[in-house]
Amino acid sequence: MRLALRLALRNIFRHRGRSLITISTITFGCVALIFVGGFFEDVSLQMREAYISSQLGHIQVYRRGFNEHGRKEPYKYLIDNPDVVKALLRTFPEVQYATSRLQFSGLLSTGIKTATFIGQGIEVRNEKTVSRDPGEGTRAFVKKNPESLPMVIEGRGLSDVGAYEILLGKGLAENMKAAINSPVTLLTNSVHGAINALDVNIRGVFETAQKDFDDIFIRLPLATAQRLLSTRSVQSVVIKLRRTEDTERIYKSLARMIKVKKMDLELRRWEDLADFYYKTVALFQTFYRVIRLVVGIVVVLGIFNTMNMSVMERITEIGTIMALGARRRGVMILFLLEGLLLGCIGGGVGTICGIVVVRAVSKVGIVMPPAPGTTSEWLATVQIVPSIILSTFVLAVLVGGISSLYPAYKASRLQIVEALRYR
Amino acid sequence: MSIIEVKNVCKNYTLNKITVPALKNVSLDVAAGEFLALAGPSGSGKTTLLNMIGCIDAPTSGEIWFDQQNTGGLDSDALADLRAQKISFVFQNFNLLPVLTAVENVEYALFSKSLTPKERRKRAEAALDSMGLLRLAAHKPLEMSGGQQQRVAIARAIVREPLVVLADEPTANLDRKTGQEIVALMRECNRRQGTTFIFSTHDQKVIDVAGRVVSVWDGEVHS
Repeated sequence: MRLALRLALRNIFRHRGRSLITISTITFGCVALIFVGGFFEDVSLQMREAYISSQLGHIQVYRRGFNEHGRKEPYKYLIDNPDVVKALLRTFPEVQYATSRLQFSGLLSTGIKTATFIGQGIEVRNEKTVSRDPGEGTRAFVKKNPESLPMVIEGRGLSDVGAYEILLGKGLAENMKAAINSPVTLLTNSVHGAINALDVNIRGVFETAQKDFDDIFIRLPLATAQRLLSTRSVQSVVIKLRRTEDTERIYKSLARMIKVKKMDLELRRWEDLADFYYKTVALFQTFYRVIRLVVGIVVVLGIFNTMNMSVMERITEIGTIMALGARRRGVMILFLLEGLLLGCIGGGVGTICGIVVVRAVSKVGIVMPPAPGTTSEWLATVQIVPSIILSTFVLAVLVGGISSLYPAYKASRLQIVEALRYR
Repeated sequence: MSIIEVKNVCKNYTLNKITVPALKNVSLDVAAGEFLALAGPSGSGKTTLLNMIGCIDAPTSGEIWFDQQNTGGLDSDALADLRAQKISFVFQNFNLLPVLTAVENVEYALFSKSLTPKERRKRAEAALDSMGLLRLAAHKPLEMSGGQQQRVAIARAIVREPLVVLADEPTANLDRKTGQEIVALMRECNRRQGTTFIFSTHDQKVIDVAGRVVSVWDGEVHS
């Protein structure tokens, strides 16, 4: 086997120029796959974290029945004792923060213009870390300097637990032509059905990654929202974990605990609510599969051409080794070995080059235009994904083998006498 | 005792729907240890007969028995194994593998033997040494003269101690002096190891060295 390997390796480098071109083709294909795969992974990752940070958290806790009937009767399914829930969550070291929210809808009036809105009562102190809230930057959806871009794009963030102030989403602020520090009136139904109004000041304008969100949402302190709705309850407790990867485990533990303690609660994971994210990831995966197929075909043709020429040039040699007693299968293995070695060398070099290119590009970053439904430019990097690197290498080796199947078969079917006579 | 028995062998080739007989009812016995020349002009059927004996071509009719075994019933793998164990070839154009060195070419012939790499290398070097070529062990075929290449080819043929070495015009591409040296080396191996040599030639000086001469004319054998 050692001699067969040596023979295969030397035959590969017999025509250095030709082999270098073939290896370059494989290398280029591997770099392309590692780069594109890593890029898609980064986009998906950024999108996931943006969803979790800005809106969903990792897990949301609701009163039992909210997800089924809450749309019709939202105030019937409020959590009356959020502090008990939070105390329970504090027993999990994986939980970074838990914060209460109260969501409602109503009319917003400046005196000149009126618009519908969805209000989100938030715990100001907690939401600074749970959401990409005023003053806090994240690496996602940020142009050039990911850590410093303020999400409050005008005015200032919410100041106090019970202040009569609100933040307007960018689109809503533009629509209302509302000035910072100007008063507006919020009009809504209380949880008991009465119409209630509250005068508040516009403290600032925020922008998230989601244009739909910015066009309709306002944020205000939870206590202010509770006053407006005449309640002390909250609608949900949003949990932010330290690591997204722990979501499923913590979700299961919490669900078990809720069942054991017979609490009147239900849970939703971020995955259950991020439909757009999953559709986008599925789209990327389809793109990636198509790109992999195209790259694979190009590489197959490249190696096939090289191996076919190699067989044609070595007909007499094939006749000789068969006359020496090599079985047809042995000849086939010899050429397959050459194809696999070509794939190994190209895949190895391609993997190394791919990692180098990915690292270099990630250092600089790629400024991307706003994604569909979003408003901000953002800085993409390229992830080094071990599974993509491994699968690319395996693909290169497999493609090497597959491309040499027919040439190897052709070589093994040669008639010895004719092969020896061939000049 | 006969090591090879050729019984009423015919071989026809079909070219453009025309059947051309290459061998016509040939019968031949070769005893173990013989140094046999197949003599005859080009196109007489010598190479075809050698190919049949070497199990790299099949007769149209007739039988070939090799070491008491009818080769007609053997499949491709069995024939390959038979060649690997008992038959070696020396070709007119030497047919060394150009990417391997002289010693690796000789080693390659031992692929079917269960030997350690060390033992394989030792035997290959010994075979090269017997041809006086150990100093060129690391040279590739293109770095050697025709005579040197043919000596490497003989080392490759004898290294696995076959029953029969078949040599097709082994001196045709060599000058007269080198050709005689090559035949002398083959004769020496035949005497020393008792290996049967069958070679085709039309060179009278080579024919003179043969232990037995079989004439092949127009596809027929005349002993």
